[in-house]
Amino acid sequence: MTLVSAFLVHGSPLPQLCPDVPNWQRFRQAMQQAGAALRASRPDVVLLYSTQWFAVLDEIWLTRRRSEDIHVDENWHEFGEMAYDLYSDVSLANACIEACRAKGVNARGADYQGFPIDTGTIVASTALSVGSEALPLVVASNNLYDNAEATEKLAAIAVACAAEQGKRVAVVGVGGLSGSLFTKPIEAQDDRIVHAEEDAWNRKVLALIEAGDVDALREVLPAYAAEARVDMGFKHFHWLLGALGGRFQGATVHHYGALYGSGAAVVEFNP
Amino acid sequence: MANGEIISGFLAPHPPHILYAENPPQNEPRSQGGWEQLRWAYERARASVEALKPDVLLVHSPHWITSVGHHFIGVEHLAGRSVDPIFPNLFRFDYSIKFDVELAEACCEEGRKAGLQTKMMRNPRFRVDYGTITALHMIRPQWDIPVVSISANNTPYYLSMEEGQVEMDLLGKATREAIAKSGKRAVLLASNTLSHWHFHQEPEPPEDMTQEHPQSQLGYQWDMRMIELMRRGEMNEVFRLLPQFIDEAFAEVKSGAFTWMHAAMQYPQLAAELHGYGTVIGTGNAVMEWNLLKAGLARAAAEAA
Repeated sequence: MTLVSAFLVHGSPLPQLCPDVPNWQRFRQAMQQAGAALRASRPDVVLLYSTQWFAVLDEIWLTRRRSEDIHVDENWHEFGEMAYDLYSDVSLANACIEACRAKGVNARGADYQGFPIDTGTIVASTALSVGSEALPLVVASNNLYDNAEATEKLAAIAVACAAEQGKRVAVVGVGGLSGSLFTKPIEAQDDRIVHAEEDAWNRKVLALIEAGDVDALREVLPAYAAEARVDMGFKHFHWLLGALGGRFQGATVHHYGALYGSGAAVVEFNP
Repeated sequence: MANGEIISGFLAPHPPHILYAENPPQNEPRSQGGWEQLRWAYERARASVEALKPDVLLVHSPHWITSVGHHFIGVEHLAGRSVDPIFPNLFRFDYSIKFDVELAEACCEEGRKAGLQTKMMRNPRFRVDYGTITALHMIRPQWDIPVVSISANNTPYYLSMEEGQVEMDLLGKATREAIAKSGKRAVLLASNTLSHWHFHQEPEPPEDMTQEHPQSQLGYQWDMRMIELMRRGEMNEVFRLLPQFIDEAFAEVKSGAFTWMHAAMQYPQLAAELHGYGTVIGTGNAVMEWNLLKAGLARAAAEAA
């Protein structure tokens, strides 16, 4: 079996940058739980897609063997910085690029000192404790012009490439749920989903994910994306669906809550 | 009573391609040139800045996106390598920038007094975005004038275009007030492209100019219409059409820099000088100037007379 585990996680730096905030602490604990489950599934590599890594021309894949730096978030700079030291499976990333091209998807690698790894990739990798030399990443960018179908195709390509290389993969989709957030400063302990309607939408979709009801999900996702202003149209979920072959048995929501008013969750799928 | 003033404002687009084509020593990738018409446009703009002798450059970039408030860099000096996440093959630039923190703080405070959410960025490890760097390098490659760097709050995208433009209008007025109290001569840079429809595949090499042309005829027509209005000084009409222009040409001015700059200049009905126009991967880019000193709209002109 190539795909051994799959996870949907948030990409906000707040839980890591503000570890003392009780309601955000629960995200850190959930990430630790998900990370433990991921590593227990004994993957050789983690296929990761973050909504915060934008591409507009080709599909870009991280092809730098080791990326290490100090990251300062452009919005939350006052809370400090995040150090990272991430390894990539360059062989598999290059195979993904070649496979994309063979299927008519323009693709190229990014192997540059100082390349700005996005906040979501750093948050997910560090919180899940993946991206080490022993458990490297293959990171795909979010081409802003790709739709749900194109994103599913991308993930399927990556899993197929891993299968050709005989590798077991964990798949991670990094992004948020409802997208409305507080545009004025709040006290962290008062954080909540900005709009009750968006909270209801998040809960409805998470319930369908827990039930593994893909048909119902596909029916409601366009409305969910539009009405709850979902992060990048929920393409990170479609990344997971593509990797899972369009089906999964169910899922466990380790935590759901608000991150500065937007919806966020840590979800473990049962492939 | 301090008598600082805005002496000129530039529309200063930031495609990293034009900086790449210049082959400055700070940028690692090497090019064979390209996009000369835009680069020559910036040469003319540089000559104007040289003559203006500003004390400070203020730049508003759409590639420093903030969701909670308008942010200002509040560190005296930042240095490091900025790599464009979209075009890392073209832009890997070692920057060293001196910031005018005093004026940035004043802008931040005036914005707060105007009812905006504002914040100073104090983290010394902050990485400056490529939009800010490209506009600054192209307008003043000597890097010898202090800078005020302003983020693009995403209200035009998050709320509505109209609400976003109102925010940028307030930000511009607050910027003007801060400059007036500073006693400094300021030049404003609105780091924006016009029509923003672009190609989805890069030629090899990227500077192959046989591949460069407007991606969209509609976008090109919109650019020419707006530029002609600006050249005639019909700025009220420009701002009346702005929402339609943004919608139909996918114009990057939506991010607010253009409105911020003109609000700061009190929306002068002044004919702009077109230093040049060119496309970059199909997007429309104009280097344009509203020179308030030359037009007699800055006090320095009266004082000199």
